[in-house]
Amino acid sequence: MPVSRSREAAGRAHSEEETDQVSDPAEDVSTPVIDSSVHVFFRSNADFRDHLREPFRSRGIPDYEMQYYGAPDGEYSPLAGTRDGEHPGSDPDLVGEELFEERGVDIAVLHPMTRGNLPDRHLNSAVYAAHNQMLAERWLDSGTYAERYRGTVRVNVEDVDGALKEIERWHDHPRMVQLGVPLQTRDLYGHPRYEPIWKAACETGMPVAVHVEVGSGVDMAPTPSGHARTYPQYFGFMALNYLYHLMNMIAEGVFEKYDGLKVVWADGGADLVTPFIWRMDTFGRPHLEQTPWAPRIPSDYLPGHVSFVHNSIDGPPDPGIAAEWLAMTGKEDMVMYGSSYPHWHMGGADTLPGGLTARQREKVLWRNAAQLYGIDVAAPVA
Amino acid sequence: MTVESQPPRPRLAAGREHVVAKVGEIEPGDHKLVPIGRHGVGVYNVDGTYYAIANYCPHEGGPLCSGRLGGRSVTDERAPGGASLVEDGQYIYCPWHQWGFELASGTTAVKPEWTIRTYPVRVENDEVIVTA
Amino acid sequence: MTVTQIHERVPAPALVPVRVVDNDVHPVPKNGQFLDHIPEPYRSRYFMRQRFGETITYDAPDYDEAKAMRMDAFPADGGFPGSDPEMAFQHVIMEAGCDIAILEPGSPEDIRPEIATARAIATNNWLDAQWLSGQGNWHGRWRGSICVAIEDPEGSAREIERWAGHPYMGQILLHAEPRPSWGHPKYDPVWAAATRHDITVACHLGRGAFDNHPRPPVGWPSYNHDFMVTYSLLAANQVMSLIFDGVFERFPTLRIVLVEHAFNWILPLMWRMDAIYAARGGDVPHVKRKPSEYVYDHIFFSTQPLDYPEDKLELTRSLELMRADKLLLFSSDYPHWTYDDPTWVLKHIPEDMRDAIMFKNGIELYKLPESVPPIEGQRRVF
Repeated sequence: MPVSRSREAAGRAHSEEETDQVSDPAEDVSTPVIDSSVHVFFRSNADFRDHLREPFRSRGIPDYEMQYYGAPDGEYSPLAGTRDGEHPGSDPDLVGEELFEERGVDIAVLHPMTRGNLPDRHLNSAVYAAHNQMLAERWLDSGTYAERYRGTVRVNVEDVDGALKEIERWHDHPRMVQLGVPLQTRDLYGHPRYEPIWKAACETGMPVAVHVEVGSGVDMAPTPSGHARTYPQYFGFMALNYLYHLMNMIAEGVFEKYDGLKVVWADGGADLVTPFIWRMDTFGRPHLEQTPWAPRIPSDYLPGHVSFVHNSIDGPPDPGIAAEWLAMTGKEDMVMYGSSYPHWHMGGADTLPGGLTARQREKVLWRNAAQLYGIDVAAPVA
Repeated sequence: MTVESQPPRPRLAAGREHVVAKVGEIEPGDHKLVPIGRHGVGVYNVDGTYYAIANYCPHEGGPLCSGRLGGRSVTDERAPGGASLVEDGQYIYCPWHQWGFELASGTTAVKPEWTIRTYPVRVENDEVIVTA
Repeated sequence: MTVTQIHERVPAPALVPVRVVDNDVHPVPKNGQFLDHIPEPYRSRYFMRQRFGETITYDAPDYDEAKAMRMDAFPADGGFPGSDPEMAFQHVIMEAGCDIAILEPGSPEDIRPEIATARAIATNNWLDAQWLSGQGNWHGRWRGSICVAIEDPEGSAREIERWAGHPYMGQILLHAEPRPSWGHPKYDPVWAAATRHDITVACHLGRGAFDNHPRPPVGWPSYNHDFMVTYSLLAANQVMSLIFDGVFERFPTLRIVLVEHAFNWILPLMWRMDAIYAARGGDVPHVKRKPSEYVYDHIFFSTQPLDYPEDKLELTRSLELMRADKLLLFSSDYPHWTYDDPTWVLKHIPEDMRDAIMFKNGIELYKLPESVPPIEGQRRVF
């Protein structure tokens, strides 16, 4: 099958000139690379329905695309290889070739994108299960690169019993390393109705990755002021919705109650956690009397509980301050490199801000994810 | 024990004795603001025990002793709402930003390192005496 | 406490330089002062027939007693904090040492835009009568705000026209919550009227009843703590809308002051917007410059609430990195419980930024005098 791969659009998110100009001795340090967020899809709707059982197979289900907020000119990078008629990010060999052979990635954590937050929780759980099944059989259990892939178990937070069953079904799989839940929800993740999922996450030792759910589901408008008229405003704000969840989880004492819970904000935006946790701490002093279930100063709950996938737009533009900025609020222990392949903003390790120290690059490219997911790649896999 | 018989104290801890009130003058649950230091000191009677605390909030300099006394909230699974107030009247909350401090220790359950100055108080011969 | 008016009400002839401009002081009407100012038919048809009760949903600590106010600001006559011009003068001008204060009354939003405008008209008439033009401003230190209901853009423009040129109206004031965000062209009449008269527009959070809260896309915060911390996301989104929807290209002289939305987030948000613009500029051809350039040329922030980390040197560094002297205006938020004292704020500002933040930016934005007649006994902050 012909493979189309365009190099013209290289470095859309970060110009290569910009990163090349930064002379950074740390760039020379060879370190293992874990790509903590690679997005995978079914090849086609027919392929998807082949993985669904009746009575769900014949149901109406939205596509992966988003109604109003798909990126103009295409959601996926032209750099992502596709075979004719197949969805980007759907072929384990093509993706593996790109990540492992060309980009020098050692291990990739795969995160299935699904079809929107569907109001019928039964149907949505079936959709998630189909994606998990596809992920396991096609990416983790077979194929050239199976040993290099790790998986995310998608679970339906609107169907807690179903989510627990799905966790039960997969948690022993040696390459399933985390749970995946949507950023868009009806209630913030501090709400107690999600607690059984957090409890299961702790018991199975799986971090919970929160990512924007693609597809056209029953989501609220993406900003606190309603709809955005431009894609840059949508894209600029959407990921920041994690702050509502994070602050609510802190105030509701989720991390106090579930000390082993680890949350990964998989759309990036780590830079904003610094001013917002300052605000949370400053405002926390008088407010903690209202929330005795979360008695510690809010920033105490970040280390060991909160991680971010780096987004190619993240980080300060000035290499002179990048190291200092990443150290603030302990972000250097929270941020993990992730490509978001095959989305338009996908990027390689060169999308990390210039000017990080060798130690910080090592943490971001390797150690933070290795520790979080228990991935042992002390030496690059041959 | 009389004032004169106090054992010698380390120099840094040295303070003057201030007779601030007669016993009975400050009712339980009440306080008296006395002119000690630049901002004054609030002398509180909590169920018969006296405490003295600077009338100056270390946060932004608010007049601490114009604030309300309160307690500390704790989780309580048996109580509707899941929380109860304990140690009521043993904390002073600043009237500006509602930062609370335990009268006895000047500290807070939330963040012990945010402790503020308190002063020893004792009662002698019907007089309430603050060392500050 | 009774406020005794013992000072001479004749200012001394020599002038002293203005060293502190406070851009956020909140006056409220005394009982009985407001109703007569409401225009008909709304006064008779609505306001006189409607009972107004407490609408608090997210409550500050000890709310039932403190009402989210500085507790030492309740007047002895039983009125509400901010209802007595003399007490406010004592607290803000004499004791805190603010030389000129911009008054920002609350004029609540409404689900019916015409009701909100009627309220704004009454607020302006009342403020002028009680605080600006009469005995309430015997010292000449108060400046007012032309309150407008931005949910009624045409009514807002009419109200701006009505007050433009008033010697003591310093700015236009609107609330941040009405939807959609401000890049929508429906609001253009407001920006057109503001720029026609070269008046700065301030945007304060409204914190009205539930329907007028910012609408978090992923669920509602639980407590005043996480609610107020994430409230800043409303302003962050407004900034992105103003810029990416091209408002500053349509109105090149428009100046916006974001009051009480916190400000530390603007530093990483500028990086974020610039990176998105570099990647997606083609989506917004009407945006001609880097987003951060629009921020520096058009947007200002009040210092209150001044949030800070455990290590205050990080705040200093953040102020330097954002070039805070180009962005910040001192504000106290008197008499609210989140009041920031100018002496305390000053301690956090790098010395070379003091003049700009404490008074110069305010003088420039509000066309204030550089010196005022002294008042004996007034605190001088620096």
